Amino acid sequence: MTVKGGPLAQFEIERLVPIHIGGYDISYTNAALLMTIAVALIALLLLGTTRRAALVPTRLQSMAELSYEFVAGMVNENVGHGGEEFFPLVFSIFMFILLGNLLGLIPFGYAFTSQVIVTTALALSVFLLATIVAFWKHGIRFATFFFPPGAPVILAPILVPIELISYLSRPVSLSLRLFANMMAGHTVMAVFAGFTAVLGIFGFLPIAVTAAVFALEIVIAVLQAYVFAILTCLYLHDSIHMH
Amino acid sequence: MSENEPPDPLAGLGERLAKARRQIEQQRPAEGGAAPQGLAGLGFRIGIELVASLAVGVALGWVVDRLAHTRPWGIVAGFVLGAAAGLLNVMRAVGGGLPGGPPQRRNRDGNGR
Repeated sequence: MTVKGGPLAQFEIERLVPIHIGGYDISYTNAALLMTIAVALIALLLLGTTRRAALVPTRLQSMAELSYEFVAGMVNENVGHGGEEFFPLVFSIFMFILLGNLLGLIPFGYAFTSQVIVTTALALSVFLLATIVAFWKHGIRFATFFFPPGAPVILAPILVPIELISYLSRPVSLSLRLFANMMAGHTVMAVFAGFTAVLGIFGFLPIAVTAAVFALEIVIAVLQAYVFAILTCLYLHDSIHMH
Repeated sequence: MSENEPPDPLAGLGERLAKARRQIEQQRPAEGGAAPQGLAGLGFRIGIELVASLAVGVALGWVVDRLAHTRPWGIVAGFVLGAAAGLLNVMRAVGGGLPGGPPQRRNRDGNGR
């Protein structure tokens, strides 16, 4: 439990519709609500603008087309040959995280990407998919991925565990990066905003800082979605091409 | 100077276009690679890489200990190997790569991704 009204209170999960099945708490929470909103917004944006697509796009249609082309370019460039089939996955992940980050910046919104369990679930799915694809495409030969080519064989007992740990740390750092960035940003904003009431007449100072941090947060929100998507691309690239 | 007729606005257009295209080509790898995060972002990423690898190493060591009853040597080895993996990841993140490692590998990770 966090202090009520404290800078961490914004991350509190509230059960909107309590559901308990077989001892598991699968309540519909405020994070789940925001996820639903994010998915609905993405679907609305993409379906609504492409159903009656005009040759000269409207603003919303060009937004949808821009995001599509941005991710398509990213997949082409970073996954390379054989990566086209993963475009839907990367696009979904990118849009979901982007909307999650941005919705968290709207008052009364909730950044569900600031929950470590959400980012872990996303990162683990990516990691498992990349590993399965690697074994699918290369079979047992994928094991050579863990031994740097050209290194002396006598070093294998040290190098292989290090490479293995390095590989296994991918989902951890992938989820930690997104979660920590979102949580840190929102906490900093709340801390500075909390100074406003205490400082009285000088309260405008923390407000100015909060405004600046908010601008930075918008950048970070987009950037972290981009980083997550591009790392997904790179891991898939490793799985398909092995190096 | 002032008597000269104004320069033809289209003169050297092809050259300027080619130059601009070359600049874009040069920018692309950097753009796709290191995210424009600045030094704070770089520091953040290095810290996370270090902690993540160390945590994975220690966790693996702990599991080995549980299964093989080798306490505490699994955790000790896991800690050392995790720290090494963390440093390796940091070196790859900042573009160093393994000294003497294969070049294509260094390039892949060297873009700070």
